[in-house]
Amino acid sequence: MTRSHYLGIARKIGVIFVTLFGLLTMTFVIGRLMPIDPVLAVVGPDADTSTYEQVFQQMGLDQPIWVQYQYYLQDMLSGDFGRAILTGYPVINDILRVLPATIELASVAILFGVGLGIPLGVYAATHRGRLGDHLTRLITLFGYSTPVFWVGMVGLIIFYAWLDWAGAAGRIGFAYDGMFTQYTGFYLIDTLLSGSWEAFTSAVRHIALPALILGLNSVSFIGRMTRSFMLEQLSQEYIKTARVKGLSERSVIWKHAFKNILVQLLTIVALAYGGLLEGAVLIETVFAWPGFGQYLTDSLLMGDMNAVMASVLFIGLVFVFLNLLSDVLYKLFDPRTR
Amino acid sequence: MTFLTRCLLVVSMTITTVHTHASTPSDQLIIALKMSNILSLDPAAATGNDIAFVNANLYDTLIELDPDDPTHILPAIASEWEVADDAMSITFTLREDIHFHSGNALTADDVVWSFDRVLDLNLALATTWKALGFTQDNISNLISQVGKYQVEVAFPRQLDPKLVMYTLATSPSAFVIDKQLVLEHEQGDDLGHQWLTTNAAGSGAFVLEQWIPQDRIIMTQNHQYWGQVPEIARVVMRNLKESQTMRLMIERGDIDVAIGMSVPDIRSLENADDLEIQTTQRGTLYYVATSMQNNILAKEEVRRAIRGTINYDGINDSIMPYYGIFHQRPIKLGLPATLPEPDYALSTEQARALLAQAGYENGFSTTIRALNESPFINVAINLQSSLERIGIDAEIISGTGNQVYGAMRDRNFDIIVGRGGGGFAPHPDSNLRPLLLNPDNSDAARLTNFQGWRTGYQNSRINELITQAVSEADEEVQNALYEEVQSVYQEDVGALFPFSQMINTVVVRADVDGYIDDPAAMTRLRSVTKQAE
Repeated sequence: MTRSHYLGIARKIGVIFVTLFGLLTMTFVIGRLMPIDPVLAVVGPDADTSTYEQVFQQMGLDQPIWVQYQYYLQDMLSGDFGRAILTGYPVINDILRVLPATIELASVAILFGVGLGIPLGVYAATHRGRLGDHLTRLITLFGYSTPVFWVGMVGLIIFYAWLDWAGAAGRIGFAYDGMFTQYTGFYLIDTLLSGSWEAFTSAVRHIALPALILGLNSVSFIGRMTRSFMLEQLSQEYIKTARVKGLSERSVIWKHAFKNILVQLLTIVALAYGGLLEGAVLIETVFAWPGFGQYLTDSLLMGDMNAVMASVLFIGLVFVFLNLLSDVLYKLFDPRTR
Repeated sequence: MTFLTRCLLVVSMTITTVHTHASTPSDQLIIALKMSNILSLDPAAATGNDIAFVNANLYDTLIELDPDDPTHILPAIASEWEVADDAMSITFTLREDIHFHSGNALTADDVVWSFDRVLDLNLALATTWKALGFTQDNISNLISQVGKYQVEVAFPRQLDPKLVMYTLATSPSAFVIDKQLVLEHEQGDDLGHQWLTTNAAGSGAFVLEQWIPQDRIIMTQNHQYWGQVPEIARVVMRNLKESQTMRLMIERGDIDVAIGMSVPDIRSLENADDLEIQTTQRGTLYYVATSMQNNILAKEEVRRAIRGTINYDGINDSIMPYYGIFHQRPIKLGLPATLPEPDYALSTEQARALLAQAGYENGFSTTIRALNESPFINVAINLQSSLERIGIDAEIISGTGNQVYGAMRDRNFDIIVGRGGGGFAPHPDSNLRPLLLNPDNSDAARLTNFQGWRTGYQNSRINELITQAVSEADEEVQNALYEEVQSVYQEDVGALFPFSQMINTVVVRADVDGYIDDPAAMTRLRSVTKQAE
């Protein structure tokens, strides 16, 4: 590696730190400016002044804002993110507890998004201006523009209440709660490892609907992007050459055009996945899915800044990681960037 | 068989297993509720009704109130009690066969320590005891161990012993805690607060098996319970915020009890044969409060005009069903001291005349604060429309509890549609003290726990009467004093107008027996049974 390589890496690390520091500072300031009083959440609306002031001081809110921020950063750098008011547990424990629920949901959703979005996008691009293309665009438009909350409720009425195909709320039937060992926090895996087929079935039934509805948004995003990337490739000279050489249309599309959009697609899928991790709030509410989105929202509404700061930092890290990943992938697969 | 066919087969097998799980197991009780207010399991720090419900099953109190007749006191940890001749103390004799879930014996030492702890920690529920005159300094002298199984509760001032008894039976801070176990987990001088936030140390009919905040609470039956051992083996409480999901699930039999469902969803279940809709009166009152800090609202004629602009009938008929029932007095319904309704009614003409008399014939502009949820926001909209008819232009500021009650605590509001006033104990003082008492109206006093102070309304006669009544031993005289409070308040046009008394609505599956929603939110599940499928 040359000196410029090292400088490049150092610059990248510097940018990451500045980004995360900026994110934390902004969140802290916004949190303190929000008209939400976390003390009231703890003491209740009927507490007297001595109780209120005692808790106010215990939370360190009597200190100037910059001193509070300084203490927060010091604790954070020593690995202490504080305790959440919402749960009474250390914030890190909370995040580690809610993450598997969200990762499991987002992973199933992204499988759906990729499995349907990419073929739809390719189909639309290769049938441009025809009925299939219009239909695909209609589907993706529906996925984008329909409120997830509404789709969730309609989905529940049809697939849970009428057809009895899916579970309603939670990650598993309530009667199975606490009835199997949690090895990984991923219920689809833990129920199987515990050897409980009934519990596994219940977990599948419960994840299917929220994951499909959440995945619908990814289908739209990935489908539209795939269509756009493919259209760009299909208009290139090398595609014409391939066709002139007599290659089958299938080979032209999948072996030539599609292969060239793979890197871009990987980036899109990674970003869609990141979005799913932090953006499943409404679905988590409708389906009582105890995940990261719900944790962050509840904390924010309560002014529980320890939980909010750590969660925001985590989201920042996820996106930094995804951006790095896409940079690396570009470098690996696209010779022009080397 | 292709891979795709195999996948489809697995999916279809999975889907077809559904019908076998349409109802909950007969030895489990599945309860859905919103857990956003359950922040701590520590009885000293608990806020809200939901936590009282949870802890009533994990812990025991010295005495209990009969949910069917809330003025009737039942023995619990204390098998008997005796009020001193001077009515300045009560001595409780404890059962000697009670053990905590840890196996430790429950003794008078645990009782005394549990009460001391509430005031020492000075968290949310210390307010209840401070209102009676107990303080950090006097509590250890007043509540003392007489023998290994006897506790004396002496009063800091002359108090109606019934009020103390009711408080001991209904306050979510009055649970008896396993001192030895908690002190093993003490951090610094926190008296085990951090540990008790997420753990339990009680002797109740159920044992805490799992508590995942904002997700689930699982309790299992306490086989060693000193009273009736519950028939239900396991209680699963699940956090479910979305009311429509709750409705679909209870209709399908996937949950047994639904708490906190929205009114449109409850209404849609009225004709369901396999569901029972239970409504229970709570002592808390819904009110419209005005601020005496506002020069316009401080005028008696203006307050009288606003009192006559509330559409009491319309609000109670169209907005309040399943939330509250018509009531206009500051003492809850059903107590001997509660006067008949004053029959305030919407009278636009009269209200307009009163405004003109006060010099506001062209009206004025003001604000109404209300929680951004039913029924508060709906009542605020109704009030806004009524006020508009008499020329008052009211802007609605809706928000969270913080933004509404926080502003009220800071005396920074004009009009509020709110709910409050205690009322857990079946005693007039339980409402009047938080709602009307205001011993010091100065800003510096910051008596934020008194809604009287928050509104800035102070009437020395009312203060005198409330203080005198609570120390009056003769019930008839006491009732007369409370009646006078209501009359004076009505005549003087206090700043806070009750329009409805809270009712709690719970939907229960018909195959669940013995679920009786408690008026003080201490619903105990030990008598619940389920019919086998």
